Amino acid sequence: MSRKAILSGLLLMMVIMTAQMPASRVPVPVTLSWPDYFGNRVFLPAGNPVTEDGIALGRRLFYEKALSSTDQMNCATCHQQAKAFTDGKRFSAGADGVLQPRNTMSLANLLWVRQLFWDGRAASLEEQAVTPLTAAHEMGQSLEVAAAKLQRQRRYPALFRRAFGSDSITGDRIVKALAQFERTLISANSRYDQYLQGKYQPSVAESNGITLFYANTDTARGIRGAGCAHCHGGPKTYSDLFHNNGLDSLPADAGRQLITGQAYDKGRFRVATLRNIALTAPYMHDGRFPDLESVIDHYSEHVAHSETLSPFLQQPLRLTGREKKDLLAFLHMLTDSTFITDPRFSNPFNNN
Amino acid sequence: MIKNCFLGLLLLMGINAIAQQKPVVKVSGEVARPLTLYPENLRQMKRTTVSLKDRDGNDHAYTGVPVQEILEQAGVTTGKTLRGENLSKYLLVRCADGYEVLFSLAELDSSFTDRVVILADESGGQPLPAGKGPFRLVVPGEKKPARSSFQVTDMIIRFAKD
Ligand code: HEC
Ligand code: HEC
Repeated sequence: MSRKAILSGLLLMMVIMTAQMPASRVPVPVTLSWPDYFGNRVFLPAGNPVTEDGIALGRRLFYEKALSSTDQMNCATCHQQAKAFTDGKRFSAGADGVLQPRNTMSLANLLWVRQLFWDGRAASLEEQAVTPLTAAHEMGQSLEVAAAKLQRQRRYPALFRRAFGSDSITGDRIVKALAQFERTLISANSRYDQYLQGKYQPSVAESNGITLFYANTDTARGIRGAGCAHCHGGPKTYSDLFHNNGLDSLPADAGRQLITGQAYDKGRFRVATLRNIALTAPYMHDGRFPDLESVIDHYSEHVAHSETLSPFLQQPLRLTGREKKDLLAFLHMLTDSTFITDPRFSNPFNNN
Repeated sequence: MIKNCFLGLLLLMGINAIAQQKPVVKVSGEVARPLTLYPENLRQMKRTTVSLKDRDGNDHAYTGVPVQEILEQAGVTTGKTLRGENLSKYLLVRCADGYEVLFSLAELDSSFTDRVVILADESGGQPLPAGKGPFRLVVPGEKKPARSSFQVTDMIIRFAKD
């Protein structure tokens, strides 16, 4: 092909592209990134690729009060960035003032979560978002009403067109945009990450804490461990597992059993991420522990036995005071101050 | 707080109303016939007993159905048909707590190996203890019992695609 032909071809393409520009601007795909040690077992549904405009819309919707029946609440009422997307309450009140039956979960590294909620009942972030939007004791409004309210606002039709190709606002598109935004909430810049990347020298307590977290006690070989990693996994401090971690012998909330109907799932809940854990008190599905000291005391000496107690918690740990302090130092290493101040996750209405 | 207690009460009542499900193992994916296996189904299939060194360091006898038998019933490529591209198929075993372990089909096939992996439901004539049962995968001859996983709920066959 001659240079002239290539040039005129290019010119033609440009003409066509400009002619099409206003009608169908193609959303710009976004490649999310994370450290290698998180692994790539991520859940990115093919039907909802993350794009710049989708994420921007999702962020706006996360902070949009019109998505609640009272126009007073948004997702961030309960999921506040400064607290790693929790609200510091044992149980959060919904739009109707009624308290939630379970503690608000923190939102971080959701890309790796396959079964959402404390009992794993939602299979995707898209499916999950329907619950807080519509539940009477959360934002309390049907998806149809939510969509109609947004359709009437001056800005939204254009934002939906940019994200999804047309002005039409539907419940499906609302949850898709929210899910795209939530997938960007990656926390990977804590002191622990900096240590893993060779940029931070841990203190003695932190370093002992890391060892305790990963090791299992082996009396024969004189090894002390707290065995936390068995469930809380590797550097993500999360794994997709359900366990009964010995909160009660007779659990008031049957947890996973309510979903599966299986006796062996009684009192099982999803392992929670420990990322930013120092910011997300109170702890456990019912927010029973006000601080991390009480959590460590629980695992050390108050694990309650029952038929479904995890096999990994059968032996009491009996940590020493020093060991407890070391473990606590490690948990504090997981705080990611850039995550909680990242402007990309903040309330977009504040800067308008 | 009062409202919350009320909700808690509702939750409690809900719990008493949980419909107790029968334990089950589902076989799905690259199968000709998806299976839903209840305890009584396993008892009617071809059974065998194998020995496993457990975490306590001792050998224990486990009885149940060879995984190959289950795969054959589901119409998975086994024996003579386990060749060519079928050798890139795997079995993913999923447990109630979300734990997952993986095998290539050839690891489970009597035309490749003498080792018999079973889905056990009994040990020493007794049902498996709570926490391990009702169904446990038993993989003899491994240095760690980590793939002999507890409370199996799903067996999924797929092609490894990349
Ligand atoms: C009234 C407080 C409240 C509001 C408002 C709220 N949430 Fe939640 N959120 C919770 C609670 C409580 C849970 C745990 C519920 C459970 O497990 O049953 C939760 C759980 C979640 C989870 C699951 C996280 C995980 O790791 O499994 C996600 C994701 C989430 N919320 C997103 C949202 C989004 C998006 C919105 C806005 C559309 C929202 N939430 C609004 C209280 C709230
Ligand atoms: C047998 C599995 C298992 C082991 C071992 C384990 N955990 Fe947990 N952990 C869980 C589960 C499951 C939950 C959620 C339980 C609930 O809320 O009912 C949890 C919750 C937590 C929470 C509260 C999370 C939140 O957001 O409220 C903290 C903190 C925690 N674990 C720390 C630890 C530490 C430290 C260790 C080691 C001493 C440890 N865990 C060992 C399974 C485990």
